[in-house]
Amino acid sequence: MSALAGVRVVELVDEPVEYCGRILAGLGADVVKVEPPAGGRSRHQGPWAEGHEGDPDASLNAWHFDLGKRSAVVDDQDGADLLPRLCRGADVVVHTLGTAEAARRGIDHEVLAAASPGLITCAITPFGLTGPWVDYVADDLVLMALGGSMATCGYGTADPPLACWGDQAWLTAATYGAIAILAALDHRDRTGEGQLIDVSAHQASASMTEWHVMTYLCSGQPMARFRHPTVTARDGKEVAALVPDFLGPHVFEHFRDLLVADGVAGPLAEPEFEDPRHRARNHGELMAATARLAERHDGEELFRLGQQAGLPWGVIRAPDEALDDRHLRARGHWVEIDGRTHAGAPFVASASPFRFDRPPPRLGEHTAEVLRELDEREP
Amino acid sequence: MGQGVEEAGPRGALDGLRVLDFCRLGFGSQATLILGCLGADVIRVESATRPDPVRVMPPFVPDSGERGEGFGGATLANANKARSPNRGGIFYKYNTGGKRSISIDARHPDGLDVLERLVACSDVVTESFAAGTLARWGLSYERLRELNPEIVYVSMCGYGHTGPDADYVTMGPTAQALTGLTHMVGLPGREPAGWSFSYLDHVGGYFGAIAVLAALAHRRATGEGQHVDVSQLEPATALAGALLLDATVNGRSARRPDFPPGNRRGGAPQGAYRAADDDPSHGGRGDRWIVISCRDEDEWRAFVRAIGDPPWAHETRFATLADRLAHVDELDALVETWTCTRDRYEAMHLLQAAGVPAGAVQDAADRLERDEQLAARDHFVRLANPEVGELPLEGVPFDLSATPPHAGGRLRRGPPCLDQDGDDVLRELLGLDDAELARLRDTGARS
Repeated sequence: MSALAGVRVVELVDEPVEYCGRILAGLGADVVKVEPPAGGRSRHQGPWAEGHEGDPDASLNAWHFDLGKRSAVVDDQDGADLLPRLCRGADVVVHTLGTAEAARRGIDHEVLAAASPGLITCAITPFGLTGPWVDYVADDLVLMALGGSMATCGYGTADPPLACWGDQAWLTAATYGAIAILAALDHRDRTGEGQLIDVSAHQASASMTEWHVMTYLCSGQPMARFRHPTVTARDGKEVAALVPDFLGPHVFEHFRDLLVADGVAGPLAEPEFEDPRHRARNHGELMAATARLAERHDGEELFRLGQQAGLPWGVIRAPDEALDDRHLRARGHWVEIDGRTHAGAPFVASASPFRFDRPPPRLGEHTAEVLRELDEREP
Repeated sequence: MGQGVEEAGPRGALDGLRVLDFCRLGFGSQATLILGCLGADVIRVESATRPDPVRVMPPFVPDSGERGEGFGGATLANANKARSPNRGGIFYKYNTGGKRSISIDARHPDGLDVLERLVACSDVVTESFAAGTLARWGLSYERLRELNPEIVYVSMCGYGHTGPDADYVTMGPTAQALTGLTHMVGLPGREPAGWSFSYLDHVGGYFGAIAVLAALAHRRATGEGQHVDVSQLEPATALAGALLLDATVNGRSARRPDFPPGNRRGGAPQGAYRAADDDPSHGGRGDRWIVISCRDEDEWRAFVRAIGDPPWAHETRFATLADRLAHVDELDALVETWTCTRDRYEAMHLLQAAGVPAGAVQDAADRLERDEQLAARDHFVRLANPEVGELPLEGVPFDLSATPPHAGGRLRRGPPCLDQDGDDVLRELLGLDDAELARLRDTGARS
């Protein structure tokens, strides 16, 4: 049985946070994507299935993020009470509206909750529902800039700071939305009480930079742009080849064996390199030896050689190159639906598997079905 | 210990939940910090003889008024410089949420006995060791279930506990490389720039928290516990969005000359532009930037008005989005003539007032000292630790109206010193008396 079997979610989003509903769908919730007649945001973003450019039913972006959902077209310009009715009948409403806009559309949390006290509303907005920047507008670039990722990612000060492709700040906010919803469901199941969740994408972005705030607090110096070391393999692929000393002495021995076997150990064969302090002082020699090793192996092979020696190496793949990874395949990670391969479960759960039972919906595919269910529940 | 909890604040959403937490480093500890901020009682099981590496790794929290050293030398040699296990800066990032700390040696028979009794009175066991470590200590999932039939056990490690490469090890940059996230940061035609930090330590942790919460939902419905195995790779694949389907449906790989596209996302102007240098200590280096993102014609027109209607903005080569994209390098150069003399915050507020998406490129100092929005929303909360005093620390980036989360968790306090709560936990949960506590210390079970 799925973890969220029987949980009804209404999703009404106009920012790239459809990922929240995707996670809830994978956990077994019934997620109804409420869309305007022209289709929601996700359907108007490419890339498209080749030959179907611009077709709202063929956006690969929508196919990815709307996997496992149903789609209902609701035109709330027509004066009907449909959207508030749908929301009142749900366990969870996920939207991207500010307070005034939610009220204008009749789905103000306080008003809905008066009729449905157990309702959970999750508003995922750029800056949250309060504060001096509450009306500011942001796309993912702006969020990655203000959040701090960009300041430290890139090649150096001659080039601009860089943001990762793919709306990562929004995806982080969407993931936190799912976490908050799960916690609110826990509270509701025990007390009957619903609540309003206010997720700030700006704060989500600001909280994802690992040691940067602490390094500033400890040293007084903010991080400059920084790249983790890589080496170039025989086939031209870059490999993240970290040789961290804190892995312990045995790992260095395995690493040295690897270099010796290929005849590229150089100075690392000398006994003084057995001392971690000497290695720390001569870290450049470790990277130089790794670069010599890399010239002799293709990227996929090199990273596995390192891993067999206990080193946390990884070949830098394009995302689609992970589709062939034997380990992900063996764990059943990829999902085949209607002949298409999708990214699947984020974990392996023994009793309540994360899985997708439905292909991504066509625009309005489930409108009649959703309205019929609503009438049955609330005649 | 229990005193003061009632007055500390309103109850969190996970009030009453107890998590026995064996997590170390970033990935797992991110998961349990979320649970702690939501009100769970998270009990960190630690080892004084083998401390969590982030407790003894630079950057070290200095005494007030001192300046310590930055991150970058995470080596054994540097770890030996740690004055105590309560100075490691990264520990403070990942262990808020009111976590409690107890030091127990699982490899000591009396230590194992204590742990088994703690499992029996917990709801959740979390860990982030290499696959098989906990089982070798005698705490396999089967054993946990014998001790507590409804236990939720969530394991978090690089490759997960099953599969042909389950013994592989990852750090954030490893997992980012293998799943495509490193490849997704960079300028076209250049080697990948990648992430400067372990994004996937965070993401893995988010899904560790989701795993716990979903398993608890399942347990509420069925009474059944389970083992959820979280790897650092699997939560990452969905972050590539449509790139996977572009390959499986269209046969188009993301390894191609025009990808990644730097900061270009289909709008123009769009990207990071050099701003005036507001920091005299830079000595003219000028590494100050503002992001501007005009996604459509409305935002472009608003942008042009906001910067004072310069003649170049009305040239035909910039008339439509398609025109601007066709002349994007010339456009970017002209936009930068405007930004480069302006303070990045003044420019941001001016453009935002006109409805144009814009934001200063902020570093950690900016977020702590200049960001009015983070300040107004109490993003950083000053929390105290007995050894290092108060620090501004982060919790979760959302509010809950009925059960507000708190960076200090149910105890409203900072990350714990090693073994800070050991005696309290054993008294409170196992009813041990002073003689029994002394005996455990004498036998070495608490090391």
